[in-house]
Amino acid sequence: MKRLSKVPDPCLLSFALIGSMIVILTVLALLTITIRQVTDLPYFISVATESKVVDAILLTMVAGLNAVVLLLIFGIPLAYILARTEFRGKGLVESIVDIPVMLPHTIAGIMVYILFMRRGIIGEPFSQIGIIFEGAYLGIVAAMFFVSSPYFVNAVRDGFEKVPVHLENAARTLGASRFQAFRMVVLPLSLRHIFSGSILAWGRGIGEFAAIIMIAYYPMVISTLIYYKFTTAGLRESTAVAFAMILVCLVVFAILRGLMKRVGKYDDRV
Amino acid sequence: MIEFENVSVTLGEFRLNELSIRVKKGDYYFIIGPSGAGKTIILEAIAGLHHPDSGRVLIDGEDVSGVPPEKRKIALVYQDYSLFPHMSVGDNVAFGLKLQKIPKREIESRVDAVLCRFGIAHLKDRAPYTMSGGEQQRVALARALVTEPDILLLDEPLSAMDQVNRDKFVADLRAIHRENCLTIVHVTHSREEALSLATRVAVIIDGTLEQEGERDEVFRKPPNRRVGRFVGIENVFEGTVTGTGVGGSVVTVGGCNIRTGGAMPDGCRVCVFIRAADVSVRRADMIADDEYNCFPAKIEEIIPRESYYLLGISCGISLYALATEQEIKEKGLVPGQSVSVSFSPTAVHITREDTSSSSPSC
Repeated sequence: MKRLSKVPDPCLLSFALIGSMIVILTVLALLTITIRQVTDLPYFISVATESKVVDAILLTMVAGLNAVVLLLIFGIPLAYILARTEFRGKGLVESIVDIPVMLPHTIAGIMVYILFMRRGIIGEPFSQIGIIFEGAYLGIVAAMFFVSSPYFVNAVRDGFEKVPVHLENAARTLGASRFQAFRMVVLPLSLRHIFSGSILAWGRGIGEFAAIIMIAYYPMVISTLIYYKFTTAGLRESTAVAFAMILVCLVVFAILRGLMKRVGKYDDRV
Repeated sequence: MIEFENVSVTLGEFRLNELSIRVKKGDYYFIIGPSGAGKTIILEAIAGLHHPDSGRVLIDGEDVSGVPPEKRKIALVYQDYSLFPHMSVGDNVAFGLKLQKIPKREIESRVDAVLCRFGIAHLKDRAPYTMSGGEQQRVALARALVTEPDILLLDEPLSAMDQVNRDKFVADLRAIHRENCLTIVHVTHSREEALSLATRVAVIIDGTLEQEGERDEVFRKPPNRRVGRFVGIENVFEGTVTGTGVGGSVVTVGGCNIRTGGAMPDGCRVCVFIRAADVSVRRADMIADDEYNCFPAKIEEIIPRESYYLLGISCGISLYALATEQEIKEKGLVPGQSVSVSFSPTAVHITREDTSSSSPSC
């Protein structure tokens, strides 16, 4: 018996070898960047502490968070409708929700631009009350909101679908209105999905480049800045900026993953 | 009072056909039918969680189609208990009371009282998923009853319990029904539950109401073969009416002339139902008299059941009879033995053979 367990399953072994390509690729790239920066620490620190870099990182993170807040407001109701109701044209609505996943990001950028530019169907009425998207913070938020919405809506919808309808029905017969049942039963039981959907959307938002530069090249998000440095100052400087962002992302997502373990621990038992 | 007027519901594969039933105040009403027939939907229609495609649901004479579930004063307990996993037992039970904006102190005392009533006070701070099925079911029932509903809907509440818990729970349900004068609608596929609790019973097979009536009527006098089989009548035969006997007809089944309680015209093809519990086994030389049908017979097999024995007997036709262990010992019954079987004509129920079956009816 002992002997048997030591013989590796040839199928699993080959799968592991083939699959490790993906892991190796990421690790290799990270290692190359890290080694280069660590061996030239003073240079990295001088670049990373430039106010331009710090500003861009902060802007990216905050705009991404802002998009997530908007998704919480608009995405949760949509996710609930998709999870709990059947209606004609539901398939169509689902496909529309998924469109930003499928499209090349430059196309997403054009879609965001024509809606939110000063003469755009949404941009124009807003510009009249002094709210500008083009070349502004809000343009960045709009682009991030657009490209990350499917990730958020689908994750949250999965969460809602995992809450048995019977629980909601039981709450209704105990005197809860539909909204009360949603707030007191469905929402708390899908917290983990909402949280992970938010992280997914945030990650997707801060990673956006193409859609953002079309509506708002300035103020520069981190991707714009890295690309700008790459084309003007070269690889050495842009890699240093990239490494700064990598460090921030790793720390932030490590914290979020830690938090997630504490959120909605009942989800698994629904 | 709950009334269904020609209610039809289609949901996926399941279809409820023009169901009309009437549950009177204080009834312990059973809806029984084979598993997977969508009986839950009937309860959800009463609770307002499903809207019928056609027909009306009335509660106390009023059409409730516009009344949302939370305003119907109906509590529903699902088969899976549906306890809120993110709340303690105490919070689960307090859920309905909190929604009614009742003062905290009163909630506390009412929750404690109902937990005591069900013997689960010690579980108050526990999380639902740490408890046994029987305990969860008690919590679900406590949570439903603490809001003092007019109607209690039970969806197969006993199916996930072991026999010991089930017996205890049946006793609880009987007590609840009696104490609170509650109207209870209980859906199940188990005849045993209906026999021990029901006042009235509806039999629904394939989405169609086959029979509705007092418990004993439904279990003794099925309207057709399908219901007879479902309610567990052991002896079902096909026969022809061949004459008139004392107070009824004579039906010929496989060479035996059986006197019946009810009367049907001569020549009629009928379905004959005799419950095994009504058939008794006697010594071999019994002769038929006016009071009883009596046939010479042979014991073919003795099948042990939980608390009795089922005797397979042949007397031209194959009959089943019930016997206690005591009876079998006293009479020394063994397979192969010659005996006679007897049963009262009033225990023989006949209906016209279904028109849908192969033989033509009269």
